[in-house]
Amino acid sequence: MLVLSLLWLFIGLFIGSLAWLARCYPPSWQRLRWLRMLVLGALVALASGWLGVLLTGRFFATALALWMTVLCVAVLPRSSHRLYERLHFKSHV
Amino acid sequence: MHRNDAQANQPSLVSAVPTNNATTSTSGSLPRAKPRRRFIPLATRCLLGILFLFGLLCSLSPWGRAFARSTVLLPALITASEPAPLQVIGEPIRHTQTTLPFQDGTVYLDIYAPTTPVPLLPHARNGILILPGVGDQRQDPQLVNLSQSLARAGIVTFDMTTDTLIDNDVDAADSDGVVQAFQTLARWPGLAGQHLGIMSFSAGVPLVCFAAADPRIRDDVAYVTAFGGYFNTADALKIVGRRAMIVDGKLLPWHPVPYTLQVLANVVTRTLPFDEQTSIRSVFAPGGTPLSSQSLAQLSPGGRAIYQLLMGSEPTKVDANMAALPPAVQAELAELSPSRVINQIRAPIFLFHDRDDAFLPFAESRDFAAALTRIHHEHDYVEFHIFDHVEIQSHLQLAQLLTDGTHLFGALNRVLQLNS
Repeated sequence: MLVLSLLWLFIGLFIGSLAWLARCYPPSWQRLRWLRMLVLGALVALASGWLGVLLTGRFFATALALWMTVLCVAVLPRSSHRLYERLHFKSHV
Repeated sequence: MHRNDAQANQPSLVSAVPTNNATTSTSGSLPRAKPRRRFIPLATRCLLGILFLFGLLCSLSPWGRAFARSTVLLPALITASEPAPLQVIGEPIRHTQTTLPFQDGTVYLDIYAPTTPVPLLPHARNGILILPGVGDQRQDPQLVNLSQSLARAGIVTFDMTTDTLIDNDVDAADSDGVVQAFQTLARWPGLAGQHLGIMSFSAGVPLVCFAAADPRIRDDVAYVTAFGGYFNTADALKIVGRRAMIVDGKLLPWHPVPYTLQVLANVVTRTLPFDEQTSIRSVFAPGGTPLSSQSLAQLSPGGRAIYQLLMGSEPTKVDANMAALPPAVQAELAELSPSRVINQIRAPIFLFHDRDDAFLPFAESRDFAAALTRIHHEHDYVEFHIFDHVEIQSHLQLAQLLTDGTHLFGALNRVLQLNS
């Protein structure tokens, strides 16, 4: 599982870098955007790989990690930013 | 630092507003820089979209799962060894052996199964029963490789044989053993309620067809794969007797390997008197020599007809020799023919045969496919050039590998889609 976990980490780093190039980060991220995207990609890929082992078995876990990581790096940063803004706005009101 | 980052971010903000693009297209250096800055995010977004769809399909859709499995199984089959990617991403597996009693003997099972817990999503794990044919093939490297590769791809694999098959003989009664093995596979953790596949090679094909037609399991069989098999035993014996087969209206020479004759001798002499049985079988056993004219004259007309058919010594009298076979032998030939049960099989049938097969003539698989076409039974028939009977040849040419590799991939994909 160590090799497979390293593979998922590598896939996560790759997708994170693609997401950085695709500018999937929110405008509020002013510093170290590339690093944040890479770390997010790696963590999500590792977590979804392990989740994939439980859901689909080890053979399909990498494919599951692939799409879940893409989904998370594309959606999570901006949606978390919007959520933060909404909460911030409510607290001010 | 903060101000520098903010400045670096400005062009992307500008490019995100279309109206600004239109207004600034005539001023300074911006128009040259903007298309590239737009292209990279757009291209990477497309790439991310492709990766998303690819991963989603390969992990959750039956088509995608079959594609993923075929992609990793094809190199394993062609190279006759497990490729490194399959070892990394595949399941850890365990090989165990067990036996099962059936009405006429014992089934020997070699089980290759993933050791990981059953996945939570249904159909992520499948099962297949393999009947490798006559002889003891359980240690055959290509069979072991196929079984291990399937298990690594999440397919629980049962390789089965019986005492009769190990003794280089085929008996229709062994189909009960196939049914028992299939039912045991169906009870394997994670496979309950699923339709499972059956794959057979060579002379194992009739037994698998009889089992797939058996009312106990016929509704649970996802597919039947028959590789290098035959359709009608009497027709196969005629081809052996003529040393030729009719293909597309032309008579093609065909010379069986000695092993085919040995197995056929065991099958067709079963009902003969013991001394005739022994003398004919000894001729076709390894190291056997032809009968003398005196010994031949001592055989019964039926025994002599069998001998001449197997020796191929009277190719012009094949029909007469077939008619001279004792009724019990003719009944045995009819009993061992998959042709008698094709109307009762419900699962799709996949037929594969190598055109240069010297163990069983490919014309038999063509006849099988033609019969299935006539009764409108779902089937697929593929001919290859890269196999030596049912084993992949070594030192293949690239062009041959590409052509037949594509066919093999397509066939694998269609087979695996049925229980992915």
